[in-house]
Amino acid sequence: MTTHPPGSRAILALLTFCGLFLYWLGADFFGYEILAEIAVFAILAMALDLLAGYGGMVSLAQGALFGIGAYAFAYASATLSISVPLSMLIAVLVSGVMALLIGALASGVTGIFFIMITLAIGEMAHEFFFKSKAFGGDDGFFGIPRLDLSGIGIDMMDPANFTLFLLASTLAIFLLLRWLVASPFGVTLVGIHENSHRLRALGLPVRLYKTMAFAVAGMVSGLAGSLIAQHTSFISPELLHWTTSGEILVMLIVGGLATLIGPLMGVILVVLLKHQLGDYTDYWQFWLGLVLIAVVLSGRNGLVGAVEEVWHKVNRLRGRSHA
Amino acid sequence: MVGDGGFWFVQILNSLQMSMLLFLLSVGLSVIFGLLNFVNLAHGSLYALGAFIGYSIANYTGSFWAAFFLSPLAVMAIGALLYVTLIDRLRSAGPMNQVLVTFGLIFVFLDVIRFLWGVDALGITEGLPFSGRIEIFGEIYPAYRLFIIVLGFLVFLALHLLLEHTRIGAEVRAGVDNAEIARCLGINVERSFLLVFLLGCALAGLAGAVAMPAFSATLGMGVSILVPTLVVVVVGGLGSLRGALIGSLLIGTTLTFGQVLIPEFASIIMYALLVIVLLVKPAGLFPVRS
Repeated sequence: MTTHPPGSRAILALLTFCGLFLYWLGADFFGYEILAEIAVFAILAMALDLLAGYGGMVSLAQGALFGIGAYAFAYASATLSISVPLSMLIAVLVSGVMALLIGALASGVTGIFFIMITLAIGEMAHEFFFKSKAFGGDDGFFGIPRLDLSGIGIDMMDPANFTLFLLASTLAIFLLLRWLVASPFGVTLVGIHENSHRLRALGLPVRLYKTMAFAVAGMVSGLAGSLIAQHTSFISPELLHWTTSGEILVMLIVGGLATLIGPLMGVILVVLLKHQLGDYTDYWQFWLGLVLIAVVLSGRNGLVGAVEEVWHKVNRLRGRSHA
Repeated sequence: MVGDGGFWFVQILNSLQMSMLLFLLSVGLSVIFGLLNFVNLAHGSLYALGAFIGYSIANYTGSFWAAFFLSPLAVMAIGALLYVTLIDRLRSAGPMNQVLVTFGLIFVFLDVIRFLWGVDALGITEGLPFSGRIEIFGEIYPAYRLFIIVLGFLVFLALHLLLEHTRIGAEVRAGVDNAEIARCLGINVERSFLLVFLLGCALAGLAGAVAMPAFSATLGMGVSILVPTLVVVVVGGLGSLRGALIGSLLIGTTLTFGQVLIPEFASIIMYALLVIVLLVKPAGLFPVRS
């Protein structure tokens, strides 16, 4: 990992979250939609950052775990009439258990084979929900309830309140994952990424750690799934398709790997680009593809890498003027 | 229907025809993968481009054969352009960057196709060769689909001769076997890679051009064929011509018969097959490197 100025990422995170909050203050209905999209996909992209950025495991099953969480929540809350908070817990646990199984299988292979095996398992889940009658098949699943906080006087059907709840969830997950990657577990995960042979030689159960990281990322993705289901009240198997994982990966790369704030910034950029460019051109995917290629070829670590490069330059100039 | 011999024979032909399209797509991908561990996710997009370019050529000239011969060349030219601008500098950039850049190319090509040809499915019905129907065991079967099957086997034979009986083929095999040693022996592995890459692009274009009259050219065709093609490459074994053929037959048969026998699980079986192969024989069923 590259060194970065101490505190710079915390400042970046503070600025980003403040920016989102300011945007929320002035948002109209369309603005709330954009913020909700940003919040949910940022949670998903941060989960992938834990796996791909810190753990070096580029998983294309993240969309599937997202969708599994959404369907688990929908089935528990709408079909089984379980309360919303409990259904969210169920979604997190179901996605977590599925991720544990996928991680146990996939952690045995590396590189392109890891990408392929997670792609295959994710597509199996997509096929299952696409064909399954109990979950609505390709018609999707309708009528999913939202968290009800009317007991404490908050109307969650108001888009402003619900969007703020989503943003608060994003902040909570950001802080949780920040704590996790700084913990001994996170440091070990980075160690495995950098030299798995050495850590195995030191007696570390490498596969166990990888599988645990997969499970944590799965639980976070399941939470994101339960949130998107509540936001749209309708879900379809499209959520589980590998291209969802691919798009999340694009946002993560554009923002910057192994930074946690990078995925949030990448999601903001891509979502805004999508909606803003959508006003000017029908072909925003073309520009998104070019941005992705340019970011990868530039060799920098996305937006965060670019910001830190500027930061370094400014510091160096300041240092020179002092001397 | 189920006890009917003719019905099953038609299904066998359908699976062969599906397999041959997969073979045309996977063989180039497999060999470049084997040569320099290069991953090209945009291969499916080249297939779609082959179909759309083929549609335009056939429409403009009124001749299917013009599309059949020119579309692969056009796609090869696009491949050459990609090579010069991106692929060459990605060769040593690691699989992660290759996956990302070629994934970005999928987006770019999707919109290029949408811009040039729109979102409707396009196909040609006039001026097709082999437009007749053949009666097999009392079932009517379009002759054009038999043509696809024969074409696939002819391409396999041609590639087999090229790889096994020419100097270029020997250099490619040596490069797949052990690129470093091959380099030490004075073989230009990068040149072999370029040749195989261009040939792979041309074959993807050919697959698109021959698929277009049978299935129409659609915007999503490149993305939807990509995953089965990758499955074939991994199941068959990287860099192996025989593996690409047998992997294609295996996946083509699984998908076609799965669709008939257990439609709910056809694709799930294919993915399960991939997972099992990756876990049990990670190098694929017919690995070139021992």
